[in-house]
Amino acid sequence: MGAEQASYAAQADEWLVERCLAAVDEAAFAELVRRYRSLVFRLAVSILGQEFVPEAEDVAQDVMVRMHGALASFRGEAKFGSWIYRIAFNHALNVKARVRYRAPHVSDDLLATRASADRGPEEQLQHDRRTRAVHDCIAELPEVYQSALRLHYWLGTSVSDIAAMLDAPENTVKSYLHRARQLLHAMLAQRGFDAR
Amino acid sequence: MHDDDLMDRLLRDAMASEPPQLSPGFDARVLRRVRARRLTQSGRWLIAAYAVVACVVTAWLMRDLPVTAIVAALVMSVPIAAGTRAYARRIALAD
Repeated sequence: MGAEQASYAAQADEWLVERCLAAVDEAAFAELVRRYRSLVFRLAVSILGQEFVPEAEDVAQDVMVRMHGALASFRGEAKFGSWIYRIAFNHALNVKARVRYRAPHVSDDLLATRASADRGPEEQLQHDRRTRAVHDCIAELPEVYQSALRLHYWLGTSVSDIAAMLDAPENTVKSYLHRARQLLHAMLAQRGFDAR
Repeated sequence: MHDDDLMDRLLRDAMASEPPQLSPGFDARVLRRVRARRLTQSGRWLIAAYAVVACVVTAWLMRDLPVTAIVAALVMSVPIAAGTRAYARRIALAD
């Protein structure tokens, strides 16, 4: 890391935004991208789902470009992170509406990664069917529940980070997760699957 | 075991696949797209010079017109210019 980059890494988001606007400072913008790219990508992939990872990367890229174009409209009333997550959330929802009916990139491959040597063929088949049912049921949940579940269980994101991304208090995120598990339990039971 | 704990375990198992990563070169691609949208220094000078010349020429051409005609021209052109600018910003944010 260069000296300039190291000094930028220590600066607050608002300072970097001011540098971008006042001095058209590319290094300041690059630091903002470095700081938020992974979280924006995680948020996008949590909304789009496991089958649309390339689209989620496109969303992350679009959000960064939009961020650059809209920096002047950032007034500092909310945290910079909340502002960019809001752009990402809305853009990912728009993209999801477009890609919903397109064939997903991965489906069976995703399940195959979970194949275990400890299970027999029958047990493995049962496991795969249940995993697929879980994913199908998750896709039917309200968007914010889907996102919270994927962020927490798949992407290993902490509750405090999820709260920042979804612009909600931590207790609300915990209740999203709890309510989502309850709904999933009922949906799986309806489809004849037992959580046990 | 409580239903909520069972669901917690089931979800951990169903979502245990490797989390995806951004592909290498992500930052470079973003910066390339941002640079392509930005006007060069000479481009900015050219547009500023055009604006100044256009204002001077318009004022000179309208010097003998009655005030009502000048007001009518401003009433028509200012909203169109503002609307075009807002539309251009929306397109820039949407691409």
